Amino acid sequence: MSAHVALKQIAERFTPVIQRTDVPDEGRLFLYVEPQALREMCRYIFRDLDARYVVGIGLDDRPVSGKFLVAHDFAFDKEHVLCSIMTYLTGNPPRVDSISDLVPAANWSEREFRDLVGIEPVGHPYPKRLILPDGWPDGVHPLRRDYPWDAVPPDYDENRTFDFDNPPDGCVVVPFGPFHPTLDEPAHFRLYVDGEVVRGCEYRGFMVHRAIEKLGDSVLTYNEIPMAAERICGICGCVHNVAYAQAVEQAAALTVPPRARYIRTIMLEIERLHSHLLWVGLGCHVLGFDTLFMQSFRIREPIMWIAEKISGNRKTYALCVIGGVRWNITPALRSELMGVLATLEKEWRAVADAVAGDRNIQKRTRGVGVADATLVKEAGLIGPMARAAGVKIDARRDHPYAAYGDVEFSVITQQGGDVWARLLVRTLEVFESIKIIRQCLDHLPEGPLQAPIQDELPVGRFGLSSVEAPRGEAHHFVITGENNRPRRWRVRAPTYQNLQGVPAMIKDQQIADMTISLASIDPCFSCTDRMEIVDLRSGAHRVYSQEELLKLARGGTRTP
Amino acid sequence: METSLAVRFLSGGMNIVLVLALAPLFEGILRKVTAKVQSRQGPPIWQPYYDLLKLLGKEDIESGESPAMQRFASWLSLAAILTLAVLVPMGTSPPLSGAADAYLLISILTLCGVSTMLAGLAAGSTYSLVGMSREMMSLMTLEPLMAVAVVVSMVHTRSMRLDAVLNGSAYVQAGLPLAGILMLGVAIFAFQALIGRLPFDIAEAETELMEGSMVEYSGPKLALFKFTHMAKLMVYGALLVSIFAPWGSGLPAPLNLLALLVKLLLLVLVVTLVAATHARYRIDQAIRYYGGLLGLSVVALLLALYGF
Repeated sequence: MSAHVALKQIAERFTPVIQRTDVPDEGRLFLYVEPQALREMCRYIFRDLDARYVVGIGLDDRPVSGKFLVAHDFAFDKEHVLCSIMTYLTGNPPRVDSISDLVPAANWSEREFRDLVGIEPVGHPYPKRLILPDGWPDGVHPLRRDYPWDAVPPDYDENRTFDFDNPPDGCVVVPFGPFHPTLDEPAHFRLYVDGEVVRGCEYRGFMVHRAIEKLGDSVLTYNEIPMAAERICGICGCVHNVAYAQAVEQAAALTVPPRARYIRTIMLEIERLHSHLLWVGLGCHVLGFDTLFMQSFRIREPIMWIAEKISGNRKTYALCVIGGVRWNITPALRSELMGVLATLEKEWRAVADAVAGDRNIQKRTRGVGVADATLVKEAGLIGPMARAAGVKIDARRDHPYAAYGDVEFSVITQQGGDVWARLLVRTLEVFESIKIIRQCLDHLPEGPLQAPIQDELPVGRFGLSSVEAPRGEAHHFVITGENNRPRRWRVRAPTYQNLQGVPAMIKDQQIADMTISLASIDPCFSCTDRMEIVDLRSGAHRVYSQEELLKLARGGTRTP
Repeated sequence: METSLAVRFLSGGMNIVLVLALAPLFEGILRKVTAKVQSRQGPPIWQPYYDLLKLLGKEDIESGESPAMQRFASWLSLAAILTLAVLVPMGTSPPLSGAADAYLLISILTLCGVSTMLAGLAAGSTYSLVGMSREMMSLMTLEPLMAVAVVVSMVHTRSMRLDAVLNGSAYVQAGLPLAGILMLGVAIFAFQALIGRLPFDIAEAETELMEGSMVEYSGPKLALFKFTHMAKLMVYGALLVSIFAPWGSGLPAPLNLLALLVKLLLLVLVVTLVAATHARYRIDQAIRYYGGLLGLSVVALLLALYGF
């Protein structure tokens, strides 16, 4: 099945309400529908056609069409199609039928466009603030086109606190976060605990939302965005870098030279290697098993060095430009990388064997943090989360990009859906990554690294790109625009979906299992907003206000 | 064997000096060996001394719900471990053996755990309270274990005198000392938990509870707790050795001490390797584990009662 077949299936039922369709290639499908048909169509695609929910996007399209736009992206993984269901909304404030009761995975996406764009999802089961900071006034939506990118609303109220739900009867609240030694990044889980058992939780995150998407559509240009995109994540940045470039290339129908496609694949797999080794290390640290933590980091280090040799950086590779890549893999680098892989494979084989036979680790991880296939479907979980529950999805195979269509590899799955299964999936995926890099190095095509781009990129085109990050599918949605920058760029990092599964995973578990359950999704929140100064001599406390901190932070370095 | 008061004071003082001086060294060895197992360089072997000195030199901050109790808990922990040191033979016979019996030993062992619980209570934060409740659960299953070990020795020697109990009493009776061997196994498997090391550092569990009961501690008070933690390894080790592996304690003065130190060093190496190769247990798993050991120790007690 391809995009045309999917379109035919949908059209059989919905022809009268489909306004326009667009099939740029066999793997992409764009459908414009009447607002009142959105709910039913999403239900049909999600339930009857069994598509996976990817993300919802809100857009202020008033400067162009005078309307607002809502898009829901779905993936037909078996059929290799990414599809976007779009509807234009009139009226102010714009309102759209919520689909979260039918498609639970859409919960956060709808709350996000309610916060940022001010599109009201009517009938949403839990329409609570998700992204905006506590003190942000209601009714101000920063992602609207008429809102300046660098403005703070005048009635911003620093002292307003978040309105948390009441815990159920008989439970005490154990705050997990905003700062916790195992989180590394600020995020707040309010756990409702009954004895040592967690009965539920409320999540408050997005404490350091950096408005990168806003920068993308108002300040940065096409080729600057990959740099910003890379900084979305401190571990899998290259994924966002590539995903963005691919989305623009798809929208503008650019062809990337084969050598660039192969190099992208190699760098993405290098990133997966270091990320999976990092996770195994951190997971073991959470369990108090520091020996494997240290060994894992020792084995990982040569990967960081070779990445630095290729790109100049251990972590932020700055790999992509629109239409190609910056860095070449010379014959010398190629043979050195081969050597690194050989050592890695040998050492990791020993680790994998040791882990597989370790009863002690199994005791702490089996049956813990279970996300079964049903939860995977409902919450739209992806990556190792899904594969550990036996759901065989992998964007590298399902929606091939870069050079993944040319290489052989297995999609590792496990049964059980618990932390143990996720540990095994990640441990074994390391070998698949090694296999992929070797194939790419063996068949690295000659040729240019970048496609020449003579003309300006066309305006108003849509691009979808899914890249399999170490944590799951990262999805980028781009609408090309004027002034050498996209009109809208929406990023859905894998943790965005995976985190939505956490409340169900930790329910009725021991509080001791909370950290490893959360760590097992390999969470990637992002860094810091307030601090307190104590004057020792006078003993006086002084809390810096957000405004003062911003001034301090930006002093002298602020660029227009 | 009546010894003069002066000699007893002297040997008691020596035990305290010994623990104060050497406990951080054993900790240093433990850290260094752990580092080697983990392919790390590791801190210098003297690092625990520096750590303690640094903490002792810091400002003494009052915090938590009840600063007075917080202070008391830290002093109690140190006092308990040092009193224990005076009761356990280290080289010489137990210095205070005439003044105390085996019951006191068991009570003071309990005090060490109680001090941690008081610390958790004093902080009054959610995490410290969870740490406290875990400490309490461990205490309730571990203390009987220790008590049974001592009682088995009491049964063997038909005495409550410390010098009799703490001198290889596990093997005094004729024939194969079944109860003694069984208790030795139990004690070795419980040792890691008694001294609160991985995989049984459940009450502190940095990555879960942010140090649990210790969450509000800093500076000198933390130094006291840290020292107690280090000293536990040595004092509990000496206790284990004197009940189950007394060989060499009859040697003349410096040699018997040397024998003890060698045995402690071996024990530290075992503790290190176990800690470095295990992930932390969950409290319910740990309690089940202790429960199994407790069952075995009761069997040992029955065997001892029937003269095995």
